[in-house]
Amino acid sequence: MANTRPLALRGLTTGFLAIWLIAALFPFAWTVWGSFKVEADFFSRESWWFAIEGTRTQAQTGGSFTLAGYEGAWIKNEFWKPVINTLIVTICVTCISLFVGTLGGYALARSGQRYAFWILIAALVFRAMPHITLVSGYLLPFFQLNIWGVLPTTIVVLVAINQPFTLWMLHSFFLSIPKDLDESALVDGCTRFQAFRMVIMPVMWPGVVTTGLFSFLLAYNDFAVTSMLLSQDNQTMIPKIASFLGSIQNEGNVMYAVAAVVSATVPLFVLVLFFQRQIVSGLTAGAVKG
Amino acid sequence: MAQIRLVNVCKRWGSYVGVDNFSLEIADAEFLVLLGPSGCGKTTTMRMIAGLEESTSGEIWIGDRMVNGMEPKDRDISMVFQSYGLYPNLTVYENIRFPLRVRNVPKAEHDARVMRAAEMVELGPLLDRRPAALSGGQRQRVALARAIVREPNAFLMDEPLSNLDAKLRVSTRAQIKNLHHTLKTTTIYVTHDQIEAMTLADRVVVMNKGQVQQVGTPTEIYDRPANTFVASFIGSPAMNLIPGHIAGGVFGADGMQVANLAAANGPVTLGFRAEDAQVVSDGGNIQAPVYAMELLGDATLVSVRIAGALVAVRAPKDFRIDIGAPLQISVPLSVVHLFDASTGARIAL
Amino acid sequence: MPHRAFFAFIFPSLLAMVLFITLPIFSVLVQSFYVEHDAILTTVESCGPFGCDSETKVDTEAMAKLRADAPLGKFAGFSNYLNRNHLAVAEVGAIFSDNNGIGDIGARLMNLPFYRALAFTLAYCFFVTPLAMALGFAVALAVNTIPKLLRGPTIFVSLLPMIITPLVGSLILSWMFNPAGILGAGLQHLTGDPTLSLRASPALTWAVLLLYGVWTNGPFSFVVFYAGLQSVPQDTLESAKMDGATRWQSVRFVIIPHLMPLATFVALVQLMDNFRVFEPIVGFSAEANATSLSWLVYNDLVSQDSAQFGSAGATSVITIIGVLILLAPVLLRTWRDFNRKVV
Ligand SMILES: Nc1ncnc2c1ncn2[C@@H]1O[C@H](COP(=O)(O)OP(=O)(O)O)[C@@H](O)[C@H]1O
Ligand SMILES: [Mg+2]
Repeated sequence: MANTRPLALRGLTTGFLAIWLIAALFPFAWTVWGSFKVEADFFSRESWWFAIEGTRTQAQTGGSFTLAGYEGAWIKNEFWKPVINTLIVTICVTCISLFVGTLGGYALARSGQRYAFWILIAALVFRAMPHITLVSGYLLPFFQLNIWGVLPTTIVVLVAINQPFTLWMLHSFFLSIPKDLDESALVDGCTRFQAFRMVIMPVMWPGVVTTGLFSFLLAYNDFAVTSMLLSQDNQTMIPKIASFLGSIQNEGNVMYAVAAVVSATVPLFVLVLFFQRQIVSGLTAGAVKG
Repeated sequence: MAQIRLVNVCKRWGSYVGVDNFSLEIADAEFLVLLGPSGCGKTTTMRMIAGLEESTSGEIWIGDRMVNGMEPKDRDISMVFQSYGLYPNLTVYENIRFPLRVRNVPKAEHDARVMRAAEMVELGPLLDRRPAALSGGQRQRVALARAIVREPNAFLMDEPLSNLDAKLRVSTRAQIKNLHHTLKTTTIYVTHDQIEAMTLADRVVVMNKGQVQQVGTPTEIYDRPANTFVASFIGSPAMNLIPGHIAGGVFGADGMQVANLAAANGPVTLGFRAEDAQVVSDGGNIQAPVYAMELLGDATLVSVRIAGALVAVRAPKDFRIDIGAPLQISVPLSVVHLFDASTGARIAL
Repeated sequence: MPHRAFFAFIFPSLLAMVLFITLPIFSVLVQSFYVEHDAILTTVESCGPFGCDSETKVDTEAMAKLRADAPLGKFAGFSNYLNRNHLAVAEVGAIFSDNNGIGDIGARLMNLPFYRALAFTLAYCFFVTPLAMALGFAVALAVNTIPKLLRGPTIFVSLLPMIITPLVGSLILSWMFNPAGILGAGLQHLTGDPTLSLRASPALTWAVLLLYGVWTNGPFSFVVFYAGLQSVPQDTLESAKMDGATRWQSVRFVIIPHLMPLATFVALVQLMDNFRVFEPIVGFSAEANATSLSWLVYNDLVSQDSAQFGSAGATSVITIIGVLILLAPVLLRTWRDFNRKVV
């Protein structure tokens, strides 16, 4: 067959792919494994075999694995509090973003007017704004209004910051639904909103799920907004991890931070595991059409 | 049921004119066909009646209400879309029931009405399927059933047959004709296919570039086309149109002469249909070498080139001739149409 | 869609964007023209057993009142933009008027915080973007040749560096590059330099940050290019083969041109994202050797004494202008396309 490749090329391809996969996976595997060791193993000056076999861990705790890091993070440092905050923030941000975004994305997809185009362009520019520059604009007004530091403020801000992206993505999903469908509904007796709710949304849900995933990721991965807008008590996971570094690292309890980092990574892995197809389709949605 | 009236309706996008000054009265229970080439503004006209597009100016009346600015749902019309616009997540039954549901028709009536509509378009056994599991013809019938399930003021149909294969098109055409006969609902039907227009219409509106060219019954349009556009658009093959001059009642063009025309001197376009002329052995109005010969089955189409135009004539089905051989064609005075050379408008004879 | 319906639908979204994106931009702009109030000093006489002392200290009461009256601070015109921490006009002038050649100019500019951050931000943008795209393209080509069954797991693993929280991802790598971590120790061993560490070596810090960037940005290009590869026209590929094209020539003349529009899109998105590089600086604690524009803003906002809103505002405004310059080609093209479509 004409498609068989020369052996050398095949070897090269496989080798390259293997290197990439190791580069992609190894840091996570290493950190997860190491999170069950003591610091002297995780940061072993002598030999990285210590980290694999857990020599010091055995010496210090009696077993090759220890939950000391997780215990320190979750119980001593109450990591469960930021986890709950993260849960609240991400769920609220995702739901509100989707609600607001589907309405707006639908309007943008169905209006051929010039202003709809300009709103999309403005959204593109907003999408490129570094979040921290916006944050520096929030702080003073939020202090003045006395709404700094609480979860609702952060949720609303994250929803707004997510909007440009959400609008673009949903808009391109709505474009793929034929206009005939809305118009049938209008003629059959629906108002615009009924058509949107009864006819368009039921066929739109794959797009909504995909966009929801990305809204979730944006909220979950955010550091700039959550670290600046939340007070110490209301912190979510990522800023909490950052503040661990400041406080714990010096006290020699860096393993708490490692455990917290692993804890924050696991949900992401699960997400990719279950929604790989949607993530891939979402990433390519804008690209293939644009 | 209602009559529909359009008064000077225009649609512009920026400087582009989609529909230009459209005025028409459509009688109650009439079957009106909008006919014209693709892009001439038929769909736009229909969408303005449905309320899916706002007219730039002019008035649209349905029954005794002026409906400008009114929502589509308040105009009480139903529409069949070119790509059907079925709701993919609903079964056939639910698709047909949808208009009743959103218009708050009492629930008790739903089943009977859906069943009756489904019956009329022979959808009985398919009611539980989803649109994705239907063939093109079946989807088309679901769309029809959804349109007839309530008694609207009018049906609007936008090229409903264009996505069907040729055979299905003929049978569905007959079905639509029959439905209109049964329901007697005012129907506006858009097509670019002149055969559909001729077979279905009570009256045909021929459009081009956003303008109405002619309004009339199919026979009128076929027999007395108002201008060269209508003449060349209606009929298959298209009417032969030959540019030439009238001098002293005689039409002359390179290779063609017709005498005894009661028209003023000057440049004109002469038209006649292929089936109205005959191949003769001697004394024809046209003398030219054969350009092409096509076998149609029931006839043979022979064409020649004169005055820069291709002229076709229908000959008996066993007629045969070589390309390049000399040919004589007789065009009787009674079948000749004359058009103004510059405006294209019909000149009365 | 009628105007009224359109605005009813888009209103919540538009309101959110106006309130929390447009207004903050104005707020930043306004802030950038103000500086902290000067301290109000009072002289207090305190008389003790050994005579009277007069002592100068900050009048906290008056300060609080002033802050409440004018929370923005003191109007300062463009001084925030021009001072040493930003465009450093005077210093730059001095450097250019008196220097010992290009190397000296570079070195002295790199001592100015703004130019240091700008240099790294641009380096990050323009190294990471093409390298990550090349990596993504290569991985896409490679994945396209392996059996279908293996592709799912391969894509799963390949997505991980992208999906990971930036701060978390950079922490993970920074621990590995720690002198006592596996990669840091390995590097010391390889180079035979026992003092080599991120903290000690600016060059290593830059290299590791760029490496991190390629690692985390590569998967996005990969996914997009991989999807693009699935839609390469097979007829063209086959006719190229019949015309006698080699494997490389089919890549060069069929596949790459087909992926070109995608590449433009990827490059645009990556440039936008990389321009706001921020978390890696925090995660790698790299601020001694590498900073970015976003990090400067962050640093002003969390600074010890009190947040430097004016300074943060000035950096933010400059950053926003940078974003607009990056986006300008796209905006211009869209604008032209749109006008052509209308006419
Ligand atoms: N929203 C629109 N904006 C600009 N031009 C349009 C729009 N809709 C239709 N047109 C133009 O109006 C003309 C008439 O369209 P249409 O009514 O769909 O023609 P058809 O007779 O084929 O149904 C076409 O040339 C089309 O390009
Ligand atoms: Mg049409």
